[in-house]
Amino acid sequence: MINAVISIFALAGVAPLIQRFAGRRAGLLVALLPACLTVYFASYAGVMMRGESVTQRFAWAASLGVEVKFYLDGLSLLMTLLICGIGSLVCVYGGGYLRKHEHLGRFYLFLLAFMGAMLGLVLAGNLLVLFVFWELTSITSFLLIGFEHEDEGARAAALQALIITAGGGLLMLAGFVMLGQVAGGNYDVQALLAQGDAIKASSLYVPLLLLIFVGAFTKSAQFPFHFWLPNAMQAPTPISAYLHSATMVKAGVYLLARLAPALGGSVEWTSIMTTTGALTMIVGSVLAFYQTNMKRLLAYSTIAALGTMVMLIGTGSEYAIRAALVFLLAHALYKGALFMIAGIIDHQTGTKDVEVLGGLRKAMPLTATIAVVAGLSLAAIPPMFSFISKEMLFEATLDVDSNAGRFRLILTAVAVLAGTMFVTVAGLVAVRPFFGSLKVTPKVAHDAPLEMWFAPALLAVAGIVFGCMPNTVTDRLIAPAVAAVYPNAAPMELALWHGLNVPLGLSVVSIVCGLVLYRAWDALRTRTKWTQGFSRFGTEGMFAAGGELIECLARWQTAILQNGKLRIYLLVITGTTIGLTAYTMRRGGITFPAANFFRTDVKFYEVGLALLILAASVAAVRSKSRLGAVAALGVVGYGVALVFILFGAPDLALTQFLIETLTVILLVLVLYHLPRLKAITGKRARARDLIVSLLFGALMTTLVLITASVEFDPRVSDFYAAHSLPDAHGRNIVNVILVDFRGLDTLGEITVLAVAAIGVFALLKLRPQAIKQRAKRKRRQLKPLKTTTRGEESPL
Amino acid sequence: MNTLLILPLITPLMVAAVSFLVWRRKAWQKWLSVGGACMSFVWACALFESVRDGEILTMQAGGWAAPFGISLVADTFAAVMVLLTATMGLAVTIYAVRSIDERRAAFGFYPILQILLMGVTGAFLTGDLFNLYVWFEVMLMSSFVLLALGGERAQIEGGIKYVTINLLSSAIFLAAIGFLYSVTGTLNMADLALKIGALPASLTAPLSVLFLVAFGVKAGLFPLFFWLPASYHTPPAVVSAVFAGLLTKVGVYALIRTFTLIFAFTDVDVDNLLLTLAGLTMVTGGLGALAQTDARRVLSFLIIAHIGVAVMGLGLNSTRALAGTIFYLIEDVIVLTNLFLIVGIMGRVCGTFELARMGGMYRTHPMLGALFLVPAWSLSGVPPFSGFFAKLALVQAGLEVEAYTVVALSLVVGILTLVAMMRLWAEAFWKPSPYVVDAAQDKMQTGKMLLVPVCALSLMSIGLGIGAEAVFGVALTAAGQIDNANGYIEAVLGVRR
Amino acid sequence: MIVMLAFVIGGLYAAGLYMMLRRSITKLIIGLSLLSHASNLLIFTTGGLVRARPPIIADGATEIIKPFADPVPQALVLTAIVISFGVTAFALVLLHRTYLTIGTDDLDDLSKTDLAQPERNG
Repeated sequence: MINAVISIFALAGVAPLIQRFAGRRAGLLVALLPACLTVYFASYAGVMMRGESVTQRFAWAASLGVEVKFYLDGLSLLMTLLICGIGSLVCVYGGGYLRKHEHLGRFYLFLLAFMGAMLGLVLAGNLLVLFVFWELTSITSFLLIGFEHEDEGARAAALQALIITAGGGLLMLAGFVMLGQVAGGNYDVQALLAQGDAIKASSLYVPLLLLIFVGAFTKSAQFPFHFWLPNAMQAPTPISAYLHSATMVKAGVYLLARLAPALGGSVEWTSIMTTTGALTMIVGSVLAFYQTNMKRLLAYSTIAALGTMVMLIGTGSEYAIRAALVFLLAHALYKGALFMIAGIIDHQTGTKDVEVLGGLRKAMPLTATIAVVAGLSLAAIPPMFSFISKEMLFEATLDVDSNAGRFRLILTAVAVLAGTMFVTVAGLVAVRPFFGSLKVTPKVAHDAPLEMWFAPALLAVAGIVFGCMPNTVTDRLIAPAVAAVYPNAAPMELALWHGLNVPLGLSVVSIVCGLVLYRAWDALRTRTKWTQGFSRFGTEGMFAAGGELIECLARWQTAILQNGKLRIYLLVITGTTIGLTAYTMRRGGITFPAANFFRTDVKFYEVGLALLILAASVAAVRSKSRLGAVAALGVVGYGVALVFILFGAPDLALTQFLIETLTVILLVLVLYHLPRLKAITGKRARARDLIVSLLFGALMTTLVLITASVEFDPRVSDFYAAHSLPDAHGRNIVNVILVDFRGLDTLGEITVLAVAAIGVFALLKLRPQAIKQRAKRKRRQLKPLKTTTRGEESPL
Repeated sequence: MNTLLILPLITPLMVAAVSFLVWRRKAWQKWLSVGGACMSFVWACALFESVRDGEILTMQAGGWAAPFGISLVADTFAAVMVLLTATMGLAVTIYAVRSIDERRAAFGFYPILQILLMGVTGAFLTGDLFNLYVWFEVMLMSSFVLLALGGERAQIEGGIKYVTINLLSSAIFLAAIGFLYSVTGTLNMADLALKIGALPASLTAPLSVLFLVAFGVKAGLFPLFFWLPASYHTPPAVVSAVFAGLLTKVGVYALIRTFTLIFAFTDVDVDNLLLTLAGLTMVTGGLGALAQTDARRVLSFLIIAHIGVAVMGLGLNSTRALAGTIFYLIEDVIVLTNLFLIVGIMGRVCGTFELARMGGMYRTHPMLGALFLVPAWSLSGVPPFSGFFAKLALVQAGLEVEAYTVVALSLVVGILTLVAMMRLWAEAFWKPSPYVVDAAQDKMQTGKMLLVPVCALSLMSIGLGIGAEAVFGVALTAAGQIDNANGYIEAVLGVRR
Repeated sequence: MIVMLAFVIGGLYAAGLYMMLRRSITKLIIGLSLLSHASNLLIFTTGGLVRARPPIIADGATEIIKPFADPVPQALVLTAIVISFGVTAFALVLLHRTYLTIGTDDLDDLSKTDLAQPERNG
């Protein structure tokens, strides 16, 4: 199994090369592998019938709970056969459909990558591995929906589908992790299935169930997330046939079926799933009625079909599960075929609008025949396989928990509605384009080449064959699959003829209603067109509005935060510092130094010095002239140097004097070129800044007082004093520290200085030509260098 | 053996020094740098190999026993970061060879880049708080110069904010060091860890907040990140790439060291504070990315968003969460460096970074597109790339302690990132080019040399995903050492706590 | 004296920050310088003050006589002074360059690189 998945990915990697060298035959060549895999997996059918399963495993990221375990049982087998079987057909069909497309090689690449991901998804026996493949299908689907990338609609649809499915997937991941934690850090699916009762008893059950539902429902296009699927019809038709009807959208259904033994059976499970499924059926059926684009028609009927499966799995009875799985198989066959037919019509006539199509049976007899057969399947007319599934559907809805009689009736009514709509859609897609009078189409229609009609023909015929010998199929495929979802299921017997009973009656009703609706389609649709105005209140509109809202919020918050004003940034940062420090001080309690700490002796000249520094700094702030401010700054610097002298740091003082002098000289040189000082900010802004600054200063003062009052541990300085002379041979301890004890600091310090020197040099020398000119121009304009234009005094 | 600790520092310094001596020979400087970066890479690999199993290497500079001299310490976490630095250093140096213009090269671009790498490495290896300040300054000074070289208006404007805000943060850092020295009498981080435990929390908590602010500015935490989106998109791609990959991560590294080693007291308050800030950082960064119309700006905001995710692991404060953070940092460094490099190539091809004016590259540069998707998906946490596993570890750790809000936010950030990245992809690659371009000419502009580091980094993203078990194992080892600081303290001081 | 100096330090921080919060480039530079003075003085002060006893071992003596000023903060401040000089010098030239390039010393005019939609008329 692992080799199967790997081989598909490997083939995906070389597919563009195959396309380059094999040309037209590439489709066939590429299809060989999935076809072989179909046979390979089919050979397991016997094993599955005996109720066994196959497991392969190897460790990937075991400490994160990710163990690659591949597990094949009846349910996975059914899915793998669909994936590989229809997959090989789609390769052939796609080769014909996109024959002249410049990116055909990439098409095979993405398609096969998707196939590999999908295979991995259904074979995964570990939730996290399943998630890996789940997201892989989302991103390959993204690339495929956007395949016609120059079309803006395709790009938008690709993004929408990705946001919804990958987003839902991420929430599902949270659900998976919770599920794994409830099960004691175990992500093994089979182990989880055995812990169903413990999981359902957990307090996390409802949240994790909801999160997993979001993942499954987004993927399987359930209401209210259904809208991405019709939009995804922007993808080339082979993709729609494969991903968006036969396989990927069934991943959600598959997941729910897979987890049903562990999570299913609770009130939440049943009520949420049946409600969602039924709503989806209604929404899909009603909206399908208003479509004229064949692919969108089919898409909405797919939504309704997916809703049916979710509803059936939700009700959870043995019969419903059986019905769901039979329906899954039948649907994959006919819907795949119909999409391919729609693709052929589009390809050969240049349009997929049913309103402008008609009378094609003469020009495309073969296509017409296949279409009608597939259409009969969609309409569930006997002896098609889908007829059996329809009967089972009705039987299952009638069978729902008989205590809730009303609920049963509603579900049955919804099922009949969906059945009716299937008939109408079948008429619109498979009958209407081919019968009646011939209408003029953009291209003159001809029958499609072999590689295009072969695939739908095979699928359509399969519908009849399966219908005629239902038990051959069910014994080998459906029964093992049901056993995987519903252990201890009774053996099942399917037949076309069940006798005269209620389901048969309902079938007849839906077929008749469907035909009536088909006849009245044009008239009814135009007459009720006004209802389409409500569509903007639909969930797609809501999602779009939500997205818009988030974008507005994003722009607004960014404009507020990243406002371009340096002083506001500084204000926020210091404000945060003050706020956070005050917060922790308030919480932790603050121990001010004892009173005697303040009663230290102070010499009068020290007070004078302190006052001088303070006064100079105030002067620097208040100075109206550049030179005055610089002079005040110099006084502060020299004052600090004097403090160093008074308290035993002559080296420090010397350096400070030197550096301060240099700084002042530099400042004077540079400031000479800068304009005069002006008070530009308003009074309120100045008051606000003053308050924040004083608070910041007060914070620092407080911290100095607190920390200085803690008794000092002189261990390190004593060590330096003791070792300076004997071991480092220096009498000046500060110097010894700099060059020896902490020499690495000095190395860094010199590096900083060197880089700064280069920076200064570069900034002075390196001038882009444009800047040089602009500067020259500016200087000419602004002579003499005085002021620049400024806005009005602003409160900020 | 322990010379391994000094070699990654000395090598770039020597390269820079020799480069200064041959100031006028730009070609020499260029190849000296490439050679130096290769050597640093080898040392870093050797260093990593010797500590990956959980050993802690120490070296006392000048031979003075700790806590009296300056200790260099390489535990697994530090060695991982050093290895990342050397790898990114090599990648960007190679990229720079073909992308940096002559004028920048003439003003010491290559030696200054080496010094920047030395500063970053020093910050990872030092075990001394004041020495950390010095390395920060080395790093900042060289980043200032790299940013301002070229002197375009945008660089100057961004540069001013970058310089000013970082100087403020340095001032706060310096003050915090002063306070800490005055209450403990030591600067050695292991020694500080021992001393701090004896002090009342009412004294240490406010001091720890000062460090939080100082490093938060460097890391780009909310609400301290303003300098980052103002400046990161202005210099040439290669400079942005090394800034994006490494500089903010040094801030996160310092935060992790500070709050797991020095202030290891289990003050839940600080953890909650970190979680809150992390959550806000994620949201503001993610939303910020959505609001941008320039490819490099999108990336700048995404850096911030993902810093939030990394800090979340620190706030959750369990071994698993820290391991997640370390994994996340590894992934983030590689992916963000790579993205900036790729976007740099995209900008060369399209002649602009404005999304509206880019386009058409799906047809002309499919290979570049594939190379873009790998880091883009990895950053969004899409499996099977490395980002997914990092995110998975954090989500697991978060749910373990029932931190639902922050886990939800981290998932939302994943979605926002995915939207931002895929929108960028749709605009730059899928959308037809708004101009008539000569595809043949475009192919020439890309330059094969530029693709070498990009390919290597993309392969790394894939490799880290496939080898997730090994990477997470290393991250767990590193996180174990961090979570239980006794090993670190014993290795440095030779005494147990 | 520590108490006095604590207030001086606070005052320097306040003055420096206030200057940095102005719109003028010139004031920004002066603010930065004040801030670095404040930091240096802070490290020096919190290390403990000892009057006129430099940490130098007198000629002929084999060890230092207590009390002596703590040499560690002095070494730190020395390093910090030099580093901040380098940084300030660079910042000074950068700001000067800003003025030459952009033609204004009003920091509020430097908001182009921050805004999501840059104005195209610059």
